[in-house]
Amino acid sequence: MRRSAVSAIIFSNSNDRTLKELTENRSMASLPFGGRYRLIDFALSNLVNAGISNIGIITKENYRSLMDHIGSGVYWDLDRKNGGIHVLPPYNKGRTNKGYFEALMRAKDFITRSNCDYVVTCESGIVANIDITALVNQHLESNADITIVYRKASCADKYENTMMLKLDENKKIKELVPANSSAESGNYTLGVAVFSKSALVNIISSDENITAKDFYLDILPKYIDNVNLFGFEHDGFVSVMDCGKSFFNANMELLKKEVRDDLFNKERPIYTKTRDDMPTRYGIYADVSNSFIADGCIIDGTVKNSVLFRGVRVKKGAVVENSILMQGVEVFENAKLKYVISDKNAVISANSPISGSDRKAFILKKNQMI
Amino acid sequence: MTNKKCVAMLLAGGQGSRLGVLTGKLAKPAVPYGGKYRIIDFPLSNCINSGIDTVGILTQYKPLELNDYIGSGKPWDLDRSNGGVHILPPYQGQKGGDWYKGTANAVYQNLGFIERYNPKYVIILSGDHIYKMDYSKMISEHKSSGAACTIAVMQVPYDEASRFGIMNTDSDGAVYEFEEKPKNPKSNLASMGIYVFTFEKLKKYLCEDEANKGSSNDFGKDVIPAMLNNNEKLMAYRFSDYWKDVGTVDSLWEANLDLLNPKIHLNLSDPNWKIYSRTNALPPQHITDSAKVENSLITAGCCVSGKIDYSILYENVTVEEGASVEYSIVMPGSVIKKGANVKYSIVAENVVVGENANVGVEPDYNGGDKWGITVIGAGISVGKNAKIGAKQMITENVSEGEKI
Repeated sequence: MRRSAVSAIIFSNSNDRTLKELTENRSMASLPFGGRYRLIDFALSNLVNAGISNIGIITKENYRSLMDHIGSGVYWDLDRKNGGIHVLPPYNKGRTNKGYFEALMRAKDFITRSNCDYVVTCESGIVANIDITALVNQHLESNADITIVYRKASCADKYENTMMLKLDENKKIKELVPANSSAESGNYTLGVAVFSKSALVNIISSDENITAKDFYLDILPKYIDNVNLFGFEHDGFVSVMDCGKSFFNANMELLKKEVRDDLFNKERPIYTKTRDDMPTRYGIYADVSNSFIADGCIIDGTVKNSVLFRGVRVKKGAVVENSILMQGVEVFENAKLKYVISDKNAVISANSPISGSDRKAFILKKNQMI
Repeated sequence: MTNKKCVAMLLAGGQGSRLGVLTGKLAKPAVPYGGKYRIIDFPLSNCINSGIDTVGILTQYKPLELNDYIGSGKPWDLDRSNGGVHILPPYQGQKGGDWYKGTANAVYQNLGFIERYNPKYVIILSGDHIYKMDYSKMISEHKSSGAACTIAVMQVPYDEASRFGIMNTDSDGAVYEFEEKPKNPKSNLASMGIYVFTFEKLKKYLCEDEANKGSSNDFGKDVIPAMLNNNEKLMAYRFSDYWKDVGTVDSLWEANLDLLNPKIHLNLSDPNWKIYSRTNALPPQHITDSAKVENSLITAGCCVSGKIDYSILYENVTVEEGASVEYSIVMPGSVIKKGANVKYSIVAENVVVGENANVGVEPDYNGGDKWGITVIGAGISVGKNAKIGAKQMITENVSEGEKI
């Protein structure tokens, strides 16, 4: 396929509202995850690993941290002369994107101007290493207009805010319904799809779609009979970020080797901004087990079943268990943390005990001092 | 081309033969250091932190890995449209060409590169040392003293002085004599191999040196003595922070473990003077339930289930359950299998140490020269239950149960 045959669009604010404490001042796309990443790294890396280098990012609000993270796009090899990263900020007289569809309409110029035949669209609240090359290939082979990525699951627990696909034996979509938690097993959408450019342009040019709020819910069902809609199965690890609990669980899943091997597939690496930290330093009082730890930390206390981002400090006698500590968090002597999600640069002073529970983690805000 | 105040020329062509198998496939400046760095990261980061954005890297020996590592210079912010980093290998001209005959000849052959930037000063660096230094201070001393050449020096213990090039200076720091490895040193100011030249003078003496058929074309042996003979003003610039030549196996091992020594201050992520490196896209490290890690540095992509003490694990190292690594450095991609013990060793890249193998031994202070650091070369496989003694340098696979 020629170099510019496929362009892509990433929605940076998908499901922002469902993770309120952590996305108060940032978009879903820039939510820190897994020790050194931000959620958008997964979408960007998936696209780049499929050779896609013309990517539009639709932003709505709170996108300062996202811009800071992406910079020129160099970390994803997206500082290109042709294509590269295009941030598509809201511009419509103060109105911000209401939903997926309206956002896409705003991106219409980016899509129509781009010299592509296919457009991949990605939500940013999904953690998965998806083989986009295989998705595009299947789309071409099946002569589809739209191909939607799904994950088979035995229950809808992790997929409550997604759609369920009913497929025929050729993976053609027969029915598209909102997932509901009573469903026993099904094919759940992951917010990733590939469109033939003409199909996408037709849909977003139609006046009757203009009031629709949700693309999957309000628009796509109308096209089932006259557009070739197919499903593409992703059978690897998936986590959908739709509440604090899912964020906590998805991070903890990284402690499993099979999850890491799938998500950080050596053939399709996940790229992120580098920080030039030293390796992590373990002191003579360090006692660390079952933890996922980024570079630049200095650990002289106890860390168990936790995820530590870059530059975290755990001092002598401090105990961190079942917790997620984002970049630059400092835990002073003899503080005790259990089931805590701490946002960036929070400071936990000596001897403080902080605990959440396995049902609801205690959340510390950015720069908070305790 | 805009004029540059100072251009750096980095001598990176040396073979580093005293590092043996560690430089079998790569030039010494490309040897990994400190978990995620390579030796050349130090002069390159020092350059950019000192405001020098034009660097010529003189390569000759096994340049593939080094060229690949430098790439466009992006990790050091040296990808510039004006200046930036340039790899300068020996080349052929109309009248033929030659390998670099010595350090001075390497720079002589690239005078054309320097002239494009028309700099006032040229700083000559080498890719063999671990240190953080603000070259801009040295350049400004050079400028205010009006010297033709300023040489960075540091004090070494007198009993070691005869291993170095020693500068004998007046009380104001002017060099009146240079002695290469003197038997009876008159001073303990050792040359660090860092020179700031006024470019006109450098050019003059390099051309004269080239015309002198008897010269070995070396800065220390030929150019500096020639300048002294001509009564040029040479000044010593004193440096007193951490500096280590990593030319031998023992010094490379020591320089790594110095990062764990609380008495030595070498912070490589100081926001005011970061050491930059090219990094791979790797996930964070995983320390498992069975791991016991203390007093060590561990970096991205590692998976540790064994015991690690006073050691440095580079990228993507795996240490399985029941294995131990002590007082050692393990370079990228190596695997230490179940029950294996590695101590007082340097394990190079992509080595597999088989189950229950033993590599290296504790120091024997009465054993004289027999004890030393054990080195396993890149890509070597050490079989199950093998035993490798002190000071060995392993260049071929070791079979199961073998004792060396």
